[in-house]
Amino acid sequence: MTGYVGTRAARVDSVEKVTGKAVYAVDLQMAGMLHGAVLRSPHPHARIVSIDTTAAEAAPGVRAVVTGRDFPYLFGSAIKDQPFLAIDRVRYVGEPVVAVAADTEAMAQEALDLIRVDYTPLPAVVDMRLALADNAPLVHPDLHEYWKGPHEIIPHTNVNTIYRHERGDIEAGFAAADLIVEGEYSAHALSHAALEVHAAIAEYDSSSGGYTLWVSTDRPFMLRSELAAGLGLDSSRVRLKVAQVGGSFGGKGVPVAEAVAVALARHTRGRPVRVELSREEDLTASQVRPPAIMKLKTGVTRDGYFTARTAEVLWDSGAYTAYTVGIAIRGSQTIMGPYRIPNLRILSRQVYTNKSITGSYRGYGTTQVTWACESQMDDIATQLGIDPVAIRLQNAYEEGDPYLNGQIMHGVGVVETIEKARDAIGWGSVERQPAPHLRRGKGIATMIKPTMTPSSSNCVINVEQDGRVSVVAAAPEIGAGQDTVLAQMAADAIGVALASVSIPATDTALTPYNGPVASSRTTYHMGNAIVAAGAEIRDNILVLAGEVLGVEPDDLDMHDSVIHDNDGLALITLEDLLAKYSGEGYSMTVGSRFSTADSPLLKADAGVEWISSIFWMFCTQATEIEVDIETGVIRVLKVAAATDVGKAINPMTCEQQIEGGVIMGLSNGLFEDFSIRDGRIENGSFADYKVATIQDLPEITPIIVESVHDEAPFGAKGIGEPAAAATPPAIGNALYDAVGIRIADLPITPEKVLRALAEKNLAESRS
Amino acid sequence: MIEVDLTVNGERYKLDVEPRLTLLEVLRENLLLSGTKEACGVGECGTCVVLADGEPVTSCLMLVGDADGVAIETVEGLAADGELNEVQQAFVDTGAFQCGFCTPAMVLTATAMLRNGAKPDVEEVKKTLGGILCRCGAYPKILEAVAQVIGESR
Repeated sequence: MTGYVGTRAARVDSVEKVTGKAVYAVDLQMAGMLHGAVLRSPHPHARIVSIDTTAAEAAPGVRAVVTGRDFPYLFGSAIKDQPFLAIDRVRYVGEPVVAVAADTEAMAQEALDLIRVDYTPLPAVVDMRLALADNAPLVHPDLHEYWKGPHEIIPHTNVNTIYRHERGDIEAGFAAADLIVEGEYSAHALSHAALEVHAAIAEYDSSSGGYTLWVSTDRPFMLRSELAAGLGLDSSRVRLKVAQVGGSFGGKGVPVAEAVAVALARHTRGRPVRVELSREEDLTASQVRPPAIMKLKTGVTRDGYFTARTAEVLWDSGAYTAYTVGIAIRGSQTIMGPYRIPNLRILSRQVYTNKSITGSYRGYGTTQVTWACESQMDDIATQLGIDPVAIRLQNAYEEGDPYLNGQIMHGVGVVETIEKARDAIGWGSVERQPAPHLRRGKGIATMIKPTMTPSSSNCVINVEQDGRVSVVAAAPEIGAGQDTVLAQMAADAIGVALASVSIPATDTALTPYNGPVASSRTTYHMGNAIVAAGAEIRDNILVLAGEVLGVEPDDLDMHDSVIHDNDGLALITLEDLLAKYSGEGYSMTVGSRFSTADSPLLKADAGVEWISSIFWMFCTQATEIEVDIETGVIRVLKVAAATDVGKAINPMTCEQQIEGGVIMGLSNGLFEDFSIRDGRIENGSFADYKVATIQDLPEITPIIVESVHDEAPFGAKGIGEPAAAATPPAIGNALYDAVGIRIADLPITPEKVLRALAEKNLAESRS
Repeated sequence: MIEVDLTVNGERYKLDVEPRLTLLEVLRENLLLSGTKEACGVGECGTCVVLADGEPVTSCLMLVGDADGVAIETVEGLAADGELNEVQQAFVDTGAFQCGFCTPAMVLTATAMLRNGAKPDVEEVKKTLGGILCRCGAYPKILEAVAQVIGESR
């Protein structure tokens, strides 16, 4: 009997979203609610000499004015380095310095003008290379005194993360190479630019000393822990209620609006305070993708097999580390690509600079490193005279290959993604010059992405007397469709109608623990929890049905909320079965916990087991582009994007993720470009920070590849992140194919294209 | 303060408001019609589109006084009787949204574009919807939704 898994079921959040009824954090109104506004630092680095808030406190409607000294706490999950409001020192332009809560937003904004802050500017470091210098100004002179996790830092410098990994014999590997290719690549800062800005409402309860927040977040329990740890509270003293999330892309995890809202709420005598960033604040002073400079040196044999690779990656965390320590470590590993490289060495360092904070961004480092890996892959292919598709196919991981730490890889569909993208784009033929000023080319790029490991998900499934099913799972709907795929899996695991399943909004006081809706982990982890709880609740229902019907439970089954015998003869509906309890009342509840911690799949070399991933995602994209050699403008004509998702629980939502990732990647690679002068982001508006529109849309062919993974729920792995990473290098490689130029630093702007074309023409005219 | 006489989704509202307020602010804060979203507040993203006498306008750029006497339609008015209109239904069928934040603007603009059986070609559709950002990248499925409506009205 067929179920819901594998079907293009309409999203369960459809009707509320097309009717405008979906409620986001920015839509919430509460009785007695005050409005917050933030005075921000105009300096990249300065000492705060004095703050005079007297006039602001006396302004009409103002209920609280709060500075860092009034709320002297630090937060940070890897390094506790960030104040809720600046304390004595500001470290980036836009850092919150003073917060005001007033009766209206306008009153709060007007009060900001009455605050006087005297600063003594300090030498700033805004270039990540200069941040490494011996005499560089220190962004955090007290780095050695902060609480930090187990990772390595270099005290009394700007280096907040240092990570090394080595496998094989690197010298022997290079000695065996017929060709060594070296290159340096860079990836720039990007805004998540979710359409819903960062917003939060916070309320303080003086009797318990706790806070309740209404937030827009993709990781409620991590955000809760971070706030509670920062405030020195037990985590249950901070309660988060999550509304619909109007886009996250990794950007709605660390305290942003939340930090200011909490600081204000502590001083408003119990009145809730709403803090909503303006678009300018959201673009310039929330967080951005960490920029990276990546040096790759790769040895290959004459016939195109890897012998060795060294990677040196420098990451820029901006003023505070937020979630970027993990990026500098985990992200750097994937610079090896989905390829068998017998001898390798990674050195990754991350430095503080006096710039806007950075954070996790769809792909957790893979969007940066894939650019380097895949750009160089084509340089190698060119120098060897090997086809770019062929060199990838012959080096790509296959089922059972060892990963960087010796983990035996499982569920490896990368070869199929390369083949399918190649076929869909019509690799090998292109109309080179459709017009005198136009050139066309095709390019390919692939990528690998692990998932956060180990991690856990818990859920509770509750069947009500009327047969309706609540799946209590703290996996906020950030837009990626997880409510729908979780509901589909629950419906099939239990045997109930999809329409009867609902997933209540997350409330950390009511919803059991879940890891973040990040790292493309929700389908796999929460799916496994749901499959286990669903199977148990189904058994309980069939036992009950057996008692009521006088039949052995083994002779019964249930689909679409109808209990039937093994021949498929319908016997009773779930609702009618449970009606027997109508007098006393009824609900049936089962909880389950799923963790990857003890999976035998994670076995690896001693000491580096932590690098293992419970599953791997792969995405290959082939593009056809057209470049105007007079203007340098690139138009992406076609993208064939093949992603290995394991089993597609819902092919439509998989396509949404693939298409959305391609469009984001195209936008990241070609358009999005912060203009940063002396650490200040100058283009804090959608007019000046261009994001792809529907008019930039190429023809996208989403292709779903379903490799087999034994421990995955219904076989499903994950899909949210991979597509965004492969697009920029696929475009860069198509540009090389079209006109023979390579842009090594993102984004690929018309100016860079024209300059490279001019240099190429000059070089050719000289030779 | 000025007195304005607004007609929103066929219902009349007499309000005393500050003249500097935009239609968007009044819709969201005074009338609690939060289906109309704000994402930039300065007319650059298209998220706050409503229909004014049937034409899409960015409500963050329209002063509330200018909406006096104009028939305003917001997303809440499209399925007021509980039944989705054909554009909304097509968005559901094709999955033409992800986070949903741009969806009210997209649905309203597409509804206006396709009224009276209009059959714009794909380039016209892209041009009409080109002023509304969707960071999730639902664009391919939005085009599919519009094509479904055009196909059905043939």
